[in-house]
Amino acid sequence: MAYRYTLELLAGLAIVAFCALFLYTSATMSGAEFAGSDHVGSGLIAKLSGNPVENFQPLIPQWVPPSGEIEACLFALQAAVGGILVGAVFGFWAGQARGRTVE
Amino acid sequence: MHIMEGFLPWQWCLIWWIVALPCLMLGIYQLKKVLALDREALPLLGVTGGFIFILSSFKLPSVTGSCSHPTGTGLSTISFGPWITAVVCAIVLLFQSLFLAHGGLSTLGANIVSMGIIGPLVGYGVYRLLRDTSVNVYVTVFLVTALADMFTYVTTSLELALAYPAETGGVASSFILFLCIFAVTQIPLAIVEGVVLALVFKYILTLKPDILIRLKVFSEEKINAARSEC
Repeated sequence: MAYRYTLELLAGLAIVAFCALFLYTSATMSGAEFAGSDHVGSGLIAKLSGNPVENFQPLIPQWVPPSGEIEACLFALQAAVGGILVGAVFGFWAGQARGRTVE
Repeated sequence: MHIMEGFLPWQWCLIWWIVALPCLMLGIYQLKKVLALDREALPLLGVTGGFIFILSSFKLPSVTGSCSHPTGTGLSTISFGPWITAVVCAIVLLFQSLFLAHGGLSTLGANIVSMGIIGPLVGYGVYRLLRDTSVNVYVTVFLVTALADMFTYVTTSLELALAYPAETGGVASSFILFLCIFAVTQIPLAIVEGVVLALVFKYILTLKPDILIRLKVFSEEKINAARSEC
């Protein structure tokens, strides 16, 4: 019973430490753009192949979100789909568990 | 970990698709089998898949001054194994390549291999190693999740190193360069993901321990012990 919330505490601490690490990095690392590692990796591909990034053309035509805002909206939509799934199932299970207790 | 569309030579795209397709077919076969045996596995699949959707959409800043995202594959790997996880990852990666231009259709095979196959396979190996030992259930979930995440990015680095060996040092030198970008960025994210998904597993254990016992995820004794611990 004494350890009932150990995992909650650990998860909270991990998130706080992660945020503190970000604040420290952004304060001490001058010029850090916090771009996606995919883009940084693409830059290294260009360097290793001796081809500028612009020369890499899609092999299969691809739709690209017209703006960063629309991209953020679609990412939020993806997270929302996951959130709805998780919330619905946990709610269903919690209801079942409550039903069992009442019986 | 997404290899962007057009950034992998077509020969390598083909090779990774050839690796990914049989794994996906095995995953679909296993999924049908699991759901035919026990329909109550479907909500658990929803939860584990839901976390892949949620966590892979979070672009978080890291110590290298760039951003990356967790994979969320640990729970699915433990509950359903690596092949079914590959199917769920393929759906997420297809969504991201079609609507977000993250990854692409030609590089989808390579991205499925890293996030949906090799990462979960490493995690599954750790799970099988620890499942029947006295190691705590939550420590097992933490290790599986964190290592599945890390090895996803190690695999992406290897895929890129094979396609783009450095002039001096070849594949090994290129692999280290890509590891410095992908894997180092991922270390803090993998740790946080491991702790958070261990917490989520606690809630699954609290609300629905019977499905985990029926799917033989852990033994009944181990699940009961874990429930009384936290």
